[in-house]
Amino acid sequence: MNISMTRIQAILMKDYKEFSRNYAVSIMVLMPLALAFLYNKSGANTINTYFLAINMAFTLVTAYVQCCLIAEEKEKNTLRSLMLSPASLGDILIGKSLFVFILTMVIVALTIFIVGYSPANLFILAIALILSTVFYIAIGTLCGLFAKTVMEGSLIILPVIFIFGFGSFALALSSAFPILKIAEWLPSSQLAQLAEALEGTYTTMDVIIPIATIIAWSIVTWIVVGYIYKKRMVD
Amino acid sequence: MNTVIDVQHLKKTFNKEAALKDVSFTIQKGEIFGFLGPSGSGKTTTIKILTAQTEKTAGDVLLFGRPASEMKQSNNRKRFGILTDNSGLYTRLSIEENLILYSNLYQLPKSAVKEALDFVNLYGDRKKKISQLSKGMMQRVTLARAIMHKPELLFLDEPTSALDPVNTQHIYNGLRKLNEMGTTIFLTTHDMSEAEVLCDRVAFLHKGKIRAIGAPKDLKKEFGDESITVELKNGACEVIQNGEQDAEKLYHWMQSNEVSRIYTNEPTLGTIFMQITGSDLV
Repeated sequence: MNISMTRIQAILMKDYKEFSRNYAVSIMVLMPLALAFLYNKSGANTINTYFLAINMAFTLVTAYVQCCLIAEEKEKNTLRSLMLSPASLGDILIGKSLFVFILTMVIVALTIFIVGYSPANLFILAIALILSTVFYIAIGTLCGLFAKTVMEGSLIILPVIFIFGFGSFALALSSAFPILKIAEWLPSSQLAQLAEALEGTYTTMDVIIPIATIIAWSIVTWIVVGYIYKKRMVD
Repeated sequence: MNTVIDVQHLKKTFNKEAALKDVSFTIQKGEIFGFLGPSGSGKTTTIKILTAQTEKTAGDVLLFGRPASEMKQSNNRKRFGILTDNSGLYTRLSIEENLILYSNLYQLPKSAVKEALDFVNLYGDRKKKISQLSKGMMQRVTLARAIMHKPELLFLDEPTSALDPVNTQHIYNGLRKLNEMGTTIFLTTHDMSEAEVLCDRVAFLHKGKIRAIGAPKDLKKEFGDESITVELKNGACEVIQNGEQDAEKLYHWMQSNEVSRIYTNEPTLGTIFMQITGSDLV
């Protein structure tokens, strides 16, 4: 694939400028921070509550913002203009994801700091957080590609926020409704499980399984994104 | 001459409804070609097929001797520029920021932005946000973006539809200059005067079919008569034909200083279109 750093940087800068002037979307970055502040003040200090705030950051910032950025490009026909420029599929997808990636890293770091979580193994957790970011960017991109307008995008993303943001609630109800055990394989649940394992004595499999699950979700979602993007290139 | 666009027996259907039915034409390097027709005649669909935004149903479509589907490739996209009615500009960014983005995507020198802004007469307004611009100004920004990389082939879909006469003239001059530099121009319009002023050749598209094709001068000759109207000072209008009898009449009027105005009865492209298709261009 033909990738150009100049083009990626151009799209990144454009997204930054657009986002900083789009208050309707940029205000969303404050939501997980406010939630983290409330958790901190309520004295909640379990891994599950920390990760409720962190997963909220992923859904409300990463997936939601990415979805809105893509949906707006479609609504204003700017995505088609980008597609008609020499920017390749890789340039556009990486360029459009890079801004949200950086934004997510900052917001997740701030969320972790505000909730007062100090991970036992920061290195492994950081890898899992980066992989999760890649997945949530993919799901946000996918929802954005399906939406025709920003309004439609913010509706399409709601089930994603609900399923991935509150997956741990479903797990809590799995004793009454065994089917909900499936929520254990959500990337959000796997991330929380990994963090839980890292706090005690853990085996290699305790690390590999959650990370492999998140990677699998990412790969599948990005493949679908690539397919849908190519379909959207033509009417 | 090299053929830049070669379209043979092109067909396109949307939900079993034919938008283009057996359309064939070629465009040579350096030509300004006008694709004329009313709304819904298939002009935009043709541009979309040529620029690989829509797939054809049948037929052969070659650009620069390669299938149009190859225009999806990054390197081939540098060879053409496109202006459509849907601007695709970032409304929160300024004119200059929009053009800087595209100059980076095309990997052009910084001077390209100023050149493009000068071309559309917008350098003084470059700091204005797109959301503050009139439709005409947006059209000029889109045009600046389309020509910034000096493409070999330029697609213009109704390029002056929202412009005032002064800016229309400015754009015409710029397009002629671009054409002199070697850019081939494919122009769709329903403005017949625009086609007459700019185009080397035109094609009339009606209900998905090309009804006539040729140089405006030749079409006028083919579809017009050779009569002349003479307006006399007493207010009478006389239509005369080539021939000895009418020549004598004209000589007599001129000798006796009776002639007020003389003009040929050359049809406009709009009249020819109506004559061929039986419908108007709007």
